Amino acid sequence: MTIFIFALKRILRDKTNVLFLTLFPIAAIFLPLAQEGWPLLPLGYQYFGVLLLFVSIRLTGIMIEDRQKGVVKRLAAAPISHFNYLWQNLLAFSVIMVIQTVIVIIGGHVYGHELYGPWNLAILYIVFTFTSISISLAWNSLYRSKESSFLIFMAVIVLMALLGGILFPMEMMPEAFQRIAVIFPTYWLSEGIEWIVLGEDRGDFLFINGVLLLYALFFLIIGSIRRIS
Amino acid sequence: MTIASIKGIVKRYKDQIALDYVDLDIHEGEILGLLGPNGAGKTTLIQCLMGIIPFDKGVIQLFGEEGAVFHHENKKKMGLVTQEITVFEELTAKENLEFFAGVYGLKGEEKKQRVKEALEFVGLSSKAKQSPNKFSGGMKRRLNIACALTHRPKLLIMDEPTVGIDPQSRNHILDAVRKLKEQGTTILYTTHYMEEVQSIATRVVIVDQGQVISEGTVDELIKNIQHEEKIFIDVNDVSTIPIERLRGLEGVKQVQVSGSVVQIISNAGAGNLDRALSIVKETSGVVGIQAEKPNLEDVFLTLTGKQLRDGEDDPS
Repeated sequence: MTIFIFALKRILRDKTNVLFLTLFPIAAIFLPLAQEGWPLLPLGYQYFGVLLLFVSIRLTGIMIEDRQKGVVKRLAAAPISHFNYLWQNLLAFSVIMVIQTVIVIIGGHVYGHELYGPWNLAILYIVFTFTSISISLAWNSLYRSKESSFLIFMAVIVLMALLGGILFPMEMMPEAFQRIAVIFPTYWLSEGIEWIVLGEDRGDFLFINGVLLLYALFFLIIGSIRRIS
Repeated sequence: MTIASIKGIVKRYKDQIALDYVDLDIHEGEILGLLGPNGAGKTTLIQCLMGIIPFDKGVIQLFGEEGAVFHHENKKKMGLVTQEITVFEELTAKENLEFFAGVYGLKGEEKKQRVKEALEFVGLSSKAKQSPNKFSGGMKRRLNIACALTHRPKLLIMDEPTVGIDPQSRNHILDAVRKLKEQGTTILYTTHYMEEVQSIATRVVIVDQGQVISEGTVDELIKNIQHEEKIFIDVNDVSTIPIERLRGLEGVKQVQVSGSVVQIISNAGAGNLDRALSIVKETSGVVGIQAEKPNLEDVFLTLTGKQLRDGEDDPS
């Protein structure tokens, strides 16, 4: 578990990372309640998915760095498989983000927010954590520089959040946009949030999480193709 | 004993041929200097040998085992010092070594001890708890080398380990390489710096355009291209020098006088320095002597038609 342990160390040694990982969840807990019936959850919980995407691109950036600096090449000469390198890094990112999710859910509960089904919300966020890590992994595989990947992904996050119905109610979008929204993982996150507040059929919730996991698998495959160069 | 044997390796990148039926043996305990101009195929050869990239044709035998470059057990016996400095700036020097030691399967007390030894070996013990971002270029290079040493590799491959560092750090690294050889490590050393190869390599292989074009000891390589020897003797009184006696020496092709300097040109390997000197000393005082001998740079230039240090930045 050397790569896992040192991935955690490397992430937590970066002061900006620590700032993002601590301040943002706290801010999410203390953001005010929504006005006029939308969003259904407190603002911090509606936008938490955006935060997860943001954190995941930041964390997975260390893998671009490894590629840029030749660490991946050096590890290819070592008795460790690329698969091992990949899953231990992904595990480190997941552990950090799951802890963050747990803090946000427990924090919200203690603060007194109405979270409807906190367990279901935790499950949804954790599943979306895997999706966002995979998307970031695939995204980073397209870039040689951590900085350009991060900057362009910021715009992509905003676009996905807008079109997926995280920032505005889907009904406010033109019909064509509403139809294409299903291709964005953020759409399924907002559907999940809606189900937690209003849904009844457990099968719908399973379906939503299943779609998010399929996205995770798809992007994981894309992201793991690029190795050394 | 041959530790690695490369036979007829071919590696293509689309239409471009990077390695063209390369044959190469690395013998146990030697420092093999791998020289070649940019794009010659040195790095590709190293990457094939380390199992980093696959090759199209040929066989690589490692530690007596055929086709074993991708076996983890063999990778444990090999170390790679990359041309790039592949250390983590977020971690301390000690943690960097612990990371690579862990990757090579070391644990517990053994890992601790090896990390300590590696830090001592490269002279960074006092900086163990510092981050490499506070290090000079030379110190980073030394740490980069130490990362490949914790698991005590039998075969150490060093890809341009002294690029861009000060002479003091370079000397430190070259001393370390000699020490490793004394300890029994076999080393494959690539560099642009001819004087490094000349000072540490027991054998040299020159590659160009994906082919091995020459190999042997430094002296053998020089001998192969050397057609004549030149001796310059600066004397007190040139008029007294017995030019005809000098011309009569075996192998001497020409004797010229220019100012106070007598220039003697002989066939390669004639070994006329001592004889010429004693003749000159009989009639005149000697102010200075210079024997012009080709060096590895001349060998390289003769064989490849290229200067070795052109475009040092190119990694291949």
